[in-house]
Amino acid sequence: MDFLSPDTWAGALAAKAARPEAVPVMGGTDVMVELNLGRRRPHALLDLTRVPELARWGAEDGYTRVGAGVSYTRLVERVGSRAPALAAAARSVASPQIRNRGSVGGNLGGASPAGDCHPPLLAAGALVELASAAGVRRVPASEFYLGPGRTVRREDELVAAVLVPEPRGPQVFAKVGPRNAMVIAVVSFALALDVAARRAGTGIGSAGPTPLRARAAEEFLAREFDWAGGADPSPEAARRFGDLVAGAARPIDDVRGSAAYRRHALAVLARRAWARCAAEVRGGGV
Amino acid sequence: MSTTSERPAARTGAIGAGPRRVEGPAKVAGTAAYAYEYRAADAAYLAPVQATIARGRVAAVDTAAAEAAEGVLAVLWHGNAPRLRTDAELPGLQQPGELHVLQSAEVHYRGQPVAAVVAETFEAAQHAAALVTLTYEQLPHDAEFSAGRTDLATPKEDHRQGDVKAAEGEVVVDQTYTTPMQHNNPMEPHSTMARWDGEAITLHESTQGAHMVRETVAELLGLEQGRVRVVAPYVGGGFGSKGPLHAPTVLAVLGARAVPHRSVKLAATRRQMFSLVGYRSPTVQRVRLRADAQGRLSGIDVTATVQSARLGDFIEEAAGPAKSMYAAPNRRMGHRAARLDVPVPTWMRAPGECPGMFGPEVAMDELAVACGLDPIEARVRNEPERDPATGKPFSTRNLIACLREGADRFGWADRPAEPGARREGEWLVGTGVAASFYPVVPPVGGSRALVRHAGDGRYVVSLAAADIGTGAWTALTQVAADVLGVPLEHVEVRLGDSALPLASLAGGSTGMMSWGSTVHAAATAFRRLHGDDPAPGAEAAADLPEVAHRDDYAMHAYGAQFAEVRVNTDTGEIRVPRLLGVFAAGRIVNARTARSQFVGGMTMGLSMALHEESVLDARFGHVVNADFAEYHIAANADVADIQAHWIDEHDPLVNPLGAKGIGEIGIVGTAAAVANAAYHATGVRVRRVPLRLDDFLDAVGA
Ligand SMILES: Cc1cc2nc3c(=O)[nH]c(=O)nc-3n(C[C@H](O)[C@H](O)[C@H](O)COP(=O)(O)OP(=O)(O)OC[C@H]3O[C@@H](n4cnc5c(N)ncnc54)[C@H](O)[C@@H]3O)c2cc1C
Repeated sequence: MDFLSPDTWAGALAAKAARPEAVPVMGGTDVMVELNLGRRRPHALLDLTRVPELARWGAEDGYTRVGAGVSYTRLVERVGSRAPALAAAARSVASPQIRNRGSVGGNLGGASPAGDCHPPLLAAGALVELASAAGVRRVPASEFYLGPGRTVRREDELVAAVLVPEPRGPQVFAKVGPRNAMVIAVVSFALALDVAARRAGTGIGSAGPTPLRARAAEEFLAREFDWAGGADPSPEAARRFGDLVAGAARPIDDVRGSAAYRRHALAVLARRAWARCAAEVRGGGV
Repeated sequence: MSTTSERPAARTGAIGAGPRRVEGPAKVAGTAAYAYEYRAADAAYLAPVQATIARGRVAAVDTAAAEAAEGVLAVLWHGNAPRLRTDAELPGLQQPGELHVLQSAEVHYRGQPVAAVVAETFEAAQHAAALVTLTYEQLPHDAEFSAGRTDLATPKEDHRQGDVKAAEGEVVVDQTYTTPMQHNNPMEPHSTMARWDGEAITLHESTQGAHMVRETVAELLGLEQGRVRVVAPYVGGGFGSKGPLHAPTVLAVLGARAVPHRSVKLAATRRQMFSLVGYRSPTVQRVRLRADAQGRLSGIDVTATVQSARLGDFIEEAAGPAKSMYAAPNRRMGHRAARLDVPVPTWMRAPGECPGMFGPEVAMDELAVACGLDPIEARVRNEPERDPATGKPFSTRNLIACLREGADRFGWADRPAEPGARREGEWLVGTGVAASFYPVVPPVGGSRALVRHAGDGRYVVSLAAADIGTGAWTALTQVAADVLGVPLEHVEVRLGDSALPLASLAGGSTGMMSWGSTVHAAATAFRRLHGDDPAPGAEAAADLPEVAHRDDYAMHAYGAQFAEVRVNTDTGEIRVPRLLGVFAAGRIVNARTARSQFVGGMTMGLSMALHEESVLDARFGHVVNADFAEYHIAANADVADIQAHWIDEHDPLVNPLGAKGIGEIGIVGTAAAVANAAYHATGVRVRRVPLRLDDFLDAVGA
């Protein structure tokens, strides 16, 4: 097995162009598990930990740019309020050890339907920046995922960064599992509001072959939300919103939970998310 | 033979106190070596190659690439592996079929070792193992466990008293309860370092019994026992799977024979722990209770269907506990087994009792509900005067005392009778109780202890007992110090080496009963022979004393487990903020390590209630969640307040120490208490563990 370890971004892209089959490793919290379990034996590993650009973050044209290699711990501590739903998701990942190594880029690279970063990126309307030796492109998160583990990223491309729009309202993330940590989410949900534009974004995790948006629910909430006062939704509106979110999911029965349970729990998380966003608007938090 | 009529007085008060673990500092400092950790200049490493089919034959093995790989010392398969004596008679607890590793082309279960590589490094062994190519003649396999199968075997005649079909009474509970396949996962995986010097073999082994390993390996190799030495002073947990031998130990032995004068090391990977060292069988328990309106049982009928293997029979005796828990004139308990193309099940903490007290103890809760009785009262009303299974008097039976004391400590009195009555915000809160039970098991094998005066009032006590983390090092030090009348620091205990006098297996919670009684006898003999002022070098030995009344009494430990459960009304999330157990297990030798055993057992019971479940894919015959990412075990954050208490039980009949076993009873009944509390919280009766979020969907108003 070859171990490629470029120390510049250009070098990384060149290496990926030359060896498209090389498997990138950032934190290794997915890759090393797969290697240990013998799920794959790649001919080459492309270590990205020495590329300084990937560990950077900062403001960029109304977005917060988070390098693909920024660890969850960094994300929580440093980026926090600039990407609240993403930071909330990061906080809920695994354990401190995994959060010290795991990265958003790795979550996107693996593209597990249960990955915790996906719902917040969808809800916030983030862009995924993909780069290759041939050039750079930015793909909306909503167009990024194709299937379990499959995305629009080409073999010669790397994830360079995600660009999360500056928050323009409350954002929340929630997930449910048999326990609070160290367990793959049964379902997860993110909601991000743009108060000025009166728009809502949603993201659903672990309830379909890819992370999903609930567009009908977004439109419904945009119409019904008390943008000025942040009043709680009526029980009917909350229920309808929950149903629309649950209806957008495409869950299966598996050992972690039944499809029926997933729909139910999504509706619960969606109603709670609305209530929490409303409370934030009321409290003048935005 | 010593008499057992009186409880020996604690002379120094060492017995019953709670000193810290004598080996604690060595363990914390990392100087206590575990089997795999012994440094050997001549170490070599063994990596197994495991079958990828569940049944069939190995048709061809291509070892060329593996043999050519760097650092490879040997590639073993059934065509060239050292021969074992497959006709040897092994100790009864062993599964010969499982141990005849690489002796034939037959494949009996997926994951069975079919080849092995010994190499200079762990990495080289792993790599070369991946280069061994096997061709199989695959046969159709059957790994589908179900109680509905038409080919279930009846391993033993059912236990019958009266006529359960004719039992009368207007109240009937007739339900099916299930527990899943579970895997033993001690922190330290099964590990061996084996070295053959051409004459004799030495094993550094992670085991619950050095002598048992010695005897078995000697038989398999056709060696005198004296040419096998087994060293196992520290063991990082066993939970039963390190009682009988399993394939990895034999692989290491074969590796050592194939590569003499090298210390061949093998530690099962966490994944291999899910295919090579046994597991707890899943159970399906059909429980039928019949009672009068006052909740007095007239009939108890329990059929437990369990999984066994074609390769060797192991019956998880889940219908056993019901034989003697409650009074009822009519009863039938029986087992049915599905013999499948799967690995052979094995012991896992409280085999039989642990799953077997889930169904019946939830059923008792259902009976209480049906009769409008408090669940404690339902149990009290069915308290037998003599052991229902044998008709013998109990040596001691303090179940009711445990229930009452537990009720007091737990705050049971304020409990609303109706389920679903207590709500705190989003959470429904309930409490539940279940009984716990573990028999006084006769020790597996004999024991002998040697006490020697080292001079200056210091003593060395030796026997080959295995401390698998239970606290035996410390408790045996206490027993010896107490009888000898010296401070703890003046006693040095030596354990875990087959070169030391014979000791029974650490199994069936018998350690303190057998080793403790033996040390007690040896120390007593020492003082009798040598008086209070012995010469340096003076020695005395004693064997495990006979228990005079073993056959005259029914001897069991009991307990009561209480649980508080919260179920989220929106999501069905389940939390267990509080567990409390009260046990009656004879004399407690070390309060600190005993509490740790009880609390550890209860934690494992909580884990059973909420998390642990091995999922077997019958299409392929393997466990799909074979790692800790998906086989969840209760961790610190899952455990809130767990309390263990015990009543001061005097039972001079069980053995000279008056001790019953405490290692396993803690896990028995916990899961039932949690399920009963979840019912009380929500009104939803779940008859299967682990409890899932989905189970409460109905209660949460979906
Ligand atoms: C114990 C444990 C608990 C976990 N808990 C959670 C959890 O709660 N929630 C959750 O979402 N995940 C969890 N994970 C999974 C994992 O930690 C996350 O997916 C994490 O985001 C992966 O990041 P990484 O940097 O370690 O990725 P790596 O393992 O380095 O890579 C992951 C994948 O992405 C690819 N990749 C990495 N970087 C790039 C790049 N720049 N461009 C293209 N492809 C790239 C890799 O080739 C690989 O396919 C857990 C893992 C473990 C071991």
